[in-house]
Amino acid sequence: MWYPIGFTVAANPSAAVVKVNEDGTATLLTGTVETGQGSLTILGQIAAEELGIATDDVHVVSADTDSTPMDTGAIASRTTYVTGNAVRLAAGKAKAILFEVAAPMLRVKPDQLEAKDRKIQIKGYPQRYLPIGEVANHAQVVMGEPAIGAASYNPPTVALDPETGQGKPFSTYVYATQIAEVDVDDETGEVDIIRIVAAHDCGTAINPMLVEGQIEGGISMGIGFALQEEILFDAAGHQINPNLTNYIMPTSLDMPEIEVNIVKSYDPTGPFGAKGVGEPTAVPTAAAILNAIRNAVGVRITSLPATAEKILAAIKAKRAQEPKRIAAG
Amino acid sequence: MAKKTKVAEKNIPRETWRELDETLRLPAIVPPVTYPIETLVPEVRDQTPAVGQRATRPDGRLHGLGQTKYIDDLAFPGMLYARIKRAGIASARIKSVDTREAQAMPGVMAVVTGRDIPVNSFGPSLKDQPVLADDFVFHAGDGVAAVAAVTEQIANDALDRIKVEYEPLPAVFDPLEALKEDAPKVHAPNSNIYATKLIKKGDVEKGFAESDHIFEGSYRTQMVEHVPLEPHASIAVWDPNGRVSIYSTLGRITLGRADIARTLKLPINRIRVVATIVGGNFGGKNEITQEPVIALLSKKTGRPVKGVFTRTEEFIATTTRHPIIMDYKTGVMKDGRLIARKVRLVLDGGAYCSWSETTLGKACILAAGPYNIDNLHAEAFVVYTNKTMTGAMRGFGAPQVCFAYESHMDDIAAALNIDPLDIRLLNAFEEGSPSPTGQVLHSVVVKDTLLKAAERFGWKEPRS
Repeated sequence: MWYPIGFTVAANPSAAVVKVNEDGTATLLTGTVETGQGSLTILGQIAAEELGIATDDVHVVSADTDSTPMDTGAIASRTTYVTGNAVRLAAGKAKAILFEVAAPMLRVKPDQLEAKDRKIQIKGYPQRYLPIGEVANHAQVVMGEPAIGAASYNPPTVALDPETGQGKPFSTYVYATQIAEVDVDDETGEVDIIRIVAAHDCGTAINPMLVEGQIEGGISMGIGFALQEEILFDAAGHQINPNLTNYIMPTSLDMPEIEVNIVKSYDPTGPFGAKGVGEPTAVPTAAAILNAIRNAVGVRITSLPATAEKILAAIKAKRAQEPKRIAAG
Repeated sequence: MAKKTKVAEKNIPRETWRELDETLRLPAIVPPVTYPIETLVPEVRDQTPAVGQRATRPDGRLHGLGQTKYIDDLAFPGMLYARIKRAGIASARIKSVDTREAQAMPGVMAVVTGRDIPVNSFGPSLKDQPVLADDFVFHAGDGVAAVAAVTEQIANDALDRIKVEYEPLPAVFDPLEALKEDAPKVHAPNSNIYATKLIKKGDVEKGFAESDHIFEGSYRTQMVEHVPLEPHASIAVWDPNGRVSIYSTLGRITLGRADIARTLKLPINRIRVVATIVGGNFGGKNEITQEPVIALLSKKTGRPVKGVFTRTEEFIATTTRHPIIMDYKTGVMKDGRLIARKVRLVLDGGAYCSWSETTLGKACILAAGPYNIDNLHAEAFVVYTNKTMTGAMRGFGAPQVCFAYESHMDDIAAALNIDPLDIRLLNAFEEGSPSPTGQVLHSVVVKDTLLKAAERFGWKEPRS
């Protein structure tokens, strides 16, 4: 499957502010909302990588319209790519101020410096360096130039032609494959998923643990979508099952063995090569499961969810069509 | 009840805290937990370089200790509880709303209806969704009135006392029915089809003429809901300067702020939206639902107001995933190469537009699959129906079309007796391939993911 990152053509900018404190730790202000996927963690990692410090040195402040800059939102799998790029650019600007201040202290030009391992050091001659805390303190307290950087980013797109739909709607896409192994009981139509192997591309995995978490979570949503979940309406338009008792969702007992593989890839337009992974994880699962059902019992279910009733009815219909054989005596 | 307890004592036992709560009649406060407050930094978070580390999450510790403050855990002095009355009828004109009996109930501090909202329409693209229904009801989960009361139970009881008189109107529920010219118009006088999209590449009829085989398939998906653990919740607090702070589960606070400014006719800088750590979004919390109502109730009563959706309201009154009816026709050469594809998508757009235009666009662009097909014709329609509104949900149309094109691919592979993996490898995108919209793709790794998954699964091994 393939899935795009960001909004379709429309501008979806994100802004970020990075402030380096006088001891070399930093604060990141971002308007994105943490909805449980770990976006604040990886945005902190991106800022830390750009400034050459550790993840724990960056404190992330988020989601207050009074103090954090605007953000289009945690939607369309765009946080790592768009907000991440904004964070990277903002950290780069803060870093530039630190380089301006450190260059005369190290007796070189600013473009000869790099930030690594909590130090500002000279490229190609790392023995001459200054700890980042010392530079930040000197910048703010002595030179009077606090290291603050603010930046925004919007993915470049080209509007789609209204007649033919041609254009560049998204800046980048991610790809994935999932393969499912299922066990179908041909007397009841029940499906038991044994194993799912997922190979996902997300550009550089900024935090592989969170990527795996997203993939496993997405697969659970895909299983519900494929086999169980459905909102039912009666003839008057009222929902029949607006509660968790009757709206069937996967629980831990329904989850198969999942093997997650992150495929190596690098996107030069993303922050440190990253793309995104939030939504693509829920996309191929239903197709994989339904194809596996077809491989198992030879019936093609074309409407979701593939409940036991549907599968059993299809198996019976298929058997009714096969010519009856009388066993040899 | 007048038990004498020394509040200044340290290490007050749990039972005493609970009694104190009841005596003081404050909202329940989580008793202080004696956990160590040293900051233990996991080694990974202290290492450079930061990218690529399996860094643990700062909120992980809070979640594990049960100390995360979600909206429902926040309490303000004098806070009221709000509940919204749902229509219960799929399509109707509201003849009258009588709130006098509810307003007279002891404990009910304010009642608002659609007439009280300064600008009663919002929406990410088409502004067709009312905050509270005032003239017409478009689906059974539409809010018609809201109540703020001292306790949630009183607010619930007050909802039953609000009398609404409806004049039922014809309704349409099936998207294929809604496509027809003579179907009842949901948002009369506009047509039921509120957005379309077309992608054309090459010449699809010529492609069909040249193909060795033509395959057709029709697929249908259902309406599902995000079901996050935390329902929609928000609290509104005004300050004496006429500035409102809204604590909310919104996933898009900048857009939420703009929508609240528009519906309440306030300048944007008089609104502060704060989102706490949210207990799951998946796309359902990307637009305002009850925030303007809560803010109005708070303004009317002069007290903070909290509104938390029940699980039923989560299902009937928030966005869901678009059911899509997909018709595929593919022209294939006998070696398995796809050379032409025609797709028609009909999306069930529910009662309001919400994120349907984005979903339509994505579903149409992705409909052909990650395969090199020279001749393509994909058209998509989204129609209004009198059901729960459909909006953003993890995938925006991609899971539905992926189910269709991947099932179709396996059917083609079986008919031509080609291995499903091989037929995909034959047709998949490569670095620099043109997408259905003519974009030159970069960082393309479809084949890598196919081969990696197949290798780890053991695709080539004999199966029982």
